[in-house]
Amino acid sequence: MTVAAACIVVSGQNAPSPIHFSYRPIGFRLDSCETPRRHAPETMAGGVAVFDYNNDGYLDIFFTNGADILSLKKTAPKYSNRLFENDGKGNFTDVTGKAGLAGTGFDNGVAIGDYDNDGREDIFVGGIHGNHLYHNDGGTFTDVTAKAGLAAPDRQYGPLWSVGGAWVDVNNDGLLDLLVVNYLAWDPNTEPSCEAAPGKLDYCHPKFYKATPNQLFLNNGDGTFRDISAESGIRAHPGKGMGIGVADYDLDGLMDFFIANDKMNNSLFHNKGGAHFEEVAFDAGVALTEDGKFISGMGADFRDVDNDGLPDIVFAALDGEMFPLFRNLAKRGFADATRSSGIARLTLPMAGYSSTIADFDNDGWKDLFVTRGHVQALGLGSKVQIDQPNTVFRNLGGAKFQALTEEAGLSAQPPARHRGSAVADLNADGRLDVVATALSAPAELWLNDSPGGAHWLELKLDGTASNRDGIGARIKVTAGGHVQYNHVSFAAGYASSSAAPTHFGLGPEASASLIEIRWPSGIMQELKDVVSDRIIRVKEPHP
Amino acid sequence: MSMIPAAIRFLSLLLLAAQSGAAVQDAVAEAARGTALSREGKYELAIQHYKAALRLDSHLPGLYLNLGLAYFKSKRLPEAAAAFEQAVRADSESFQAHALLGMSYYGCTRYADAAAQLKLASNAQPDNLELRYTLAQSYLASNQYPQAVAEFHFLLSKNPDSAPVHILLGEVLDASNQIEAATTEFEAAMKASPVPPDGHFGLGYLYWKQQRYEEACHEFEAELETQPQHTQALTYLGDAEMHADRNQRAETHLRRSLALDANNRLAHLDLGILLAGRNESAEATRCFREAIRIDPSKPDAHYRFGRLLSSLGRQQEAQAEFEKVKKLAADEPPPPLLSLPGRRVP
Repeated sequence: MTVAAACIVVSGQNAPSPIHFSYRPIGFRLDSCETPRRHAPETMAGGVAVFDYNNDGYLDIFFTNGADILSLKKTAPKYSNRLFENDGKGNFTDVTGKAGLAGTGFDNGVAIGDYDNDGREDIFVGGIHGNHLYHNDGGTFTDVTAKAGLAAPDRQYGPLWSVGGAWVDVNNDGLLDLLVVNYLAWDPNTEPSCEAAPGKLDYCHPKFYKATPNQLFLNNGDGTFRDISAESGIRAHPGKGMGIGVADYDLDGLMDFFIANDKMNNSLFHNKGGAHFEEVAFDAGVALTEDGKFISGMGADFRDVDNDGLPDIVFAALDGEMFPLFRNLAKRGFADATRSSGIARLTLPMAGYSSTIADFDNDGWKDLFVTRGHVQALGLGSKVQIDQPNTVFRNLGGAKFQALTEEAGLSAQPPARHRGSAVADLNADGRLDVVATALSAPAELWLNDSPGGAHWLELKLDGTASNRDGIGARIKVTAGGHVQYNHVSFAAGYASSSAAPTHFGLGPEASASLIEIRWPSGIMQELKDVVSDRIIRVKEPHP
Repeated sequence: MSMIPAAIRFLSLLLLAAQSGAAVQDAVAEAARGTALSREGKYELAIQHYKAALRLDSHLPGLYLNLGLAYFKSKRLPEAAAAFEQAVRADSESFQAHALLGMSYYGCTRYADAAAQLKLASNAQPDNLELRYTLAQSYLASNQYPQAVAEFHFLLSKNPDSAPVHILLGEVLDASNQIEAATTEFEAAMKASPVPPDGHFGLGYLYWKQQRYEEACHEFEAELETQPQHTQALTYLGDAEMHADRNQRAETHLRRSLALDANNRLAHLDLGILLAGRNESAEATRCFREAIRIDPSKPDAHYRFGRLLSSLGRQQEAQAEFEKVKKLAADEPPPPLLSLPGRRVP
């Protein structure tokens, strides 16, 4: 509490915003092939990932991109996915061609994970009627989708529309499994036309499309995967997934999934062990907002925002719906804290896509960054604000939030229809930066230049018995009497992946007195008196 | 006609003219009698004479207008409208005919038709504020919001301090989903003295919709000072207090609201939420069931009830409620002020 209190701006008209970003351009423009016909995928593109593709210690950026909407082929260079290599100072060079990541189809989302534990991050790209798994051969990539057993269309639903997914070890066997989040059933030949005004087409409401099931692929450990969607219990609950959050919400040592659905009840898949799941969203209180509304669930994140050791859920939605915050009350399920946290009032007029939970001012309390923009098209005289700026919601100490947009420098670029986002310290200054995409607009790099000089610490985990990325590891950091928690999960936001070291703000504390890690293997590890302001690599000890 | 000899045709015309001249004289006399009776307030008798005059000469100038007025004053609005329609047909340039037809339509709740006629009348007399006010109300009642907004803005340009016009404009803006602009209008209306009835409630409701619960509570309380039995103000005050985590005060207001109106769904629902929150499950169950009985189409009560049942371990019943929620698949924002029970009827 003292850490947060020290950072709160009490008064002063010209007091600097406690969280501030500066815009930096990056040479990527998202092209979803927007047409007057308004095909649904055109408004949903824009996944982005940060990860270290070449193990040089600097975080690089990968953008997914659209394609010709009717052929679903990348018929022109403007549709190419793009990989940008970081020189460590926040300067980026396009290395797509060298890496072999241009792609072929209409790509939507991305999930990063080292599925073969070779120490190199691999890429899953989810797309419209086609997904791709790229194996990292050491700075170059090979498309191994078919070989891995991920190319087959669904027997019942046919080709699916994936908005990304998450790498997670569902059975704690040390191998990352793949959960693919699917949106809705889309066929350009049978898609309805929806008029926003006479003669003016706009994107249709999701109710005009059928729900589709998510998929779970179990890692066989030999470069192949087995579809266990049905036997795991995942397939029995089709949805219109837009966001996935991964966390062990009941602290039983097994990773669970929250999936935000678009105008449908959300799903919370509780991991019962043995790669079996039960869907418990209604009983847990996260299926709907507290007033029983079906809202436009968008990108989600699932982390502890109030430092009570229990992961909470945040996701974005459209204007008038508010961005829900579900606080984890342990055995009592979740409480809808959207109103009590102040987020309801702050977000009532906003439309958002990608919400990520991270500590942007290093005060020891995780904030929210939400990319904003409407799902609807431009220029139809709508009352809703189509183009919007991004907003960071500063955590004032666990239960209340403050919205910072212009104050945080986020109006430095014109409002846009922002989509995906990824969070990481891209210029190695100890402050978390954001990369965001926007439809038919340049991508935005928001470098964090928040004042205050608060201390920080990042942990890069190296699993041995557990998966190499340490995904699922639960980390407790104690510094100056302030305790905070996070866990390793790269899935966050809309269609995006933040495969960065796990970041902790320490406020005024120059060291953490204790770091406790519970690895997915069950191994417990303690680090004492860890000096701040650096990235530490932590190798999982042998049992 | 070509078969009739020309002479016979000429004679026939002469006869017709003679008869017609007499009829006109009689019609004029009947009409004059009708007008005299109208002046005495004997509208029913006046109507008989006007009708007699019409039977004699339906082309007598002003006759339909007078007949319509007699109907209008005797509150027989559909007949008035029919007479004014004839008057408009007889003279499509007549300001009076359009204005009175518009007023009659308005009285018959034919607001779109009223707006069309009153618009024609206002073209002739653009500074007739009474007419423009009714025109604005007609637009509002017929959901022609952009036109209503323009009319109310015109009225405010002539009288910037008119509280009723600010309120009506606020309601139109609210119905048009322009809630911040609506709030500004209500705030302007609150500067008037005396504050118009329902003004504080309306402003409070707009604050409530924007989750501005403290300000909402303040306005609802102000409304209740002058109208202690204002059920809506009590209910929404209770709801706002609940969202501001002042549960005891919320409960008091909700119970008072239910004492005034036992069919108040929101009050039952909120009371159920409060009681469930402090584990008074039996009474919470009764409240949720009552809320569901009053309006089973609203998902919120089913959802809350399902959550309560789930927490009680009654999973099967909980699932049944959740299934109802799924079927309802609601996508309902809070209703606009205009649609609240007990609100303005033009």
